[in-house]
Amino acid sequence: MSTVLERLDRLPRRNLTVLAIKGLSTLVPGGWHNITSADELIGDVLGSKDPDLIRQVRARADALSQARHEGYGRALSLYDAVNRSQKAAGGLRLLANIGGALPLVKRVANLTPTSETLQAADLSLKVAAEMLAFTQVNGLPGDSFGDFAAALNDYAGEARVRMAALICFDALLPLGDQALQRLDGLLGGVGKRDLHQLPAYAGLASMLPGRGDEAHLTFLRRGVDQWLGWAGAFSHQLGLTGQKAVQALESTLGPWQGGFKQMATFLDAFTDTYQHTGVQAVARRLVERAAAEI
Amino acid sequence: MARTLRWGVGLLLIVSLSIGAFLLLPFRAWLPGGTVADIPLSQVVNGTAFNRLFPEPEKGDQLVFTQEKRGFSEARLKHGGQVKALLAISDVTTTPEARSKFEASERRLQGWPLVEQGQQATAVLVADRFQVKVIGQGDGLEAEQRQALIGQFNLRGLAALKGESASRAALPTGEQPTGNLSAMEPAP
Repeated sequence: MSTVLERLDRLPRRNLTVLAIKGLSTLVPGGWHNITSADELIGDVLGSKDPDLIRQVRARADALSQARHEGYGRALSLYDAVNRSQKAAGGLRLLANIGGALPLVKRVANLTPTSETLQAADLSLKVAAEMLAFTQVNGLPGDSFGDFAAALNDYAGEARVRMAALICFDALLPLGDQALQRLDGLLGGVGKRDLHQLPAYAGLASMLPGRGDEAHLTFLRRGVDQWLGWAGAFSHQLGLTGQKAVQALESTLGPWQGGFKQMATFLDAFTDTYQHTGVQAVARRLVERAAAEI
Repeated sequence: MARTLRWGVGLLLIVSLSIGAFLLLPFRAWLPGGTVADIPLSQVVNGTAFNRLFPEPEKGDQLVFTQEKRGFSEARLKHGGQVKALLAISDVTTTPEARSKFEASERRLQGWPLVEQGQQATAVLVADRFQVKVIGQGDGLEAEQRQALIGQFNLRGLAALKGESASRAALPTGEQPTGNLSAMEPAP
């Protein structure tokens, strides 16, 4: 298994994913820098270009990411699971969109999960994966709940572009501008059967706390409740809407003629936003630790 | 015939049970490679014990804990939303090479060896076991500022942790004693 830093080095410098994130980052103050070099990241954290120090940090980071108990590798496999399922679901919906126009394959369109309930469940799984990954990477920092909340806020602030992408691509575009307000109601309608239709659920079920679908659903609803407060304030502060997201994406991807939902489907099927920014976020935390430990 | 069949069924049962046990039961935790340098987690001081030894932030500054693992705790010192420095305490049990860099050090801070790493990092080794490090971020910090920050850590409390972990290693249980540490700490 490749280590976190190897995966960082392998991230694309310029492709559809990078362009989509670049476009969206115009909405977020501070912007986004596509870090794809581990040595550059280490130098940035350490404030030094000494090759010997960089080599030491790198060796330590590799040792840490190979140890299962440290959780860095597990966080990446969470992101991978979510990404695989997003692509599968996106591909299915893409097929349905095309299939809808052809009489013979119209049946496929009726079979594919496109309902808003499923979309809401998918978003809640992503939020849950994000929280699980956070605890895998960072542990439970601080001594009190206040400390933990501060750590979570700090992390979210660092991953602003990542969060903006989650809000826009998985909530505002497929569910409309009132997505965050409607999400609670939509999740209330999610049943066990809907959950099992999501490919991501199969991969995540073993990592979600609690036993059984009911417990997992409760965890997802509560996790999303926590996140919604933060996400609502964040999107209000930036004034995020589906319209603005599409405009921002057009600045890098070129003009878009279709609707918002098609845009969401297209992004799901052809980009790895969640995984790409996830690897970068984990790598940063890992390097910060390795730099402190050498 | 019946006898060989019985033996066959019995063997099949044993083999399938042992394969099933290996696949389904959480044996992975026992396999090597789970922890850094294969050192058992119980030999490493938990990061929770480090948290209260971090310095109190000055007025206008903010201390946000960012990572806490076995043998490691890290916080960011922020000023008005900008990260000024990373502060960290780590247990060097899993990093012998981190300890060796202090051997040549002539400089001392409160009696503990001090080392500068590059332009932005300063580290102190307390009680030959715990490394306290400050890494300047953003615009960076002067070496004196970093050393002053390290001096604000509760280094005496940190040194006391070593005795506690040694006595714990002698205990048969891996349970964590909590709360009895404040008695060992010097009054502020």
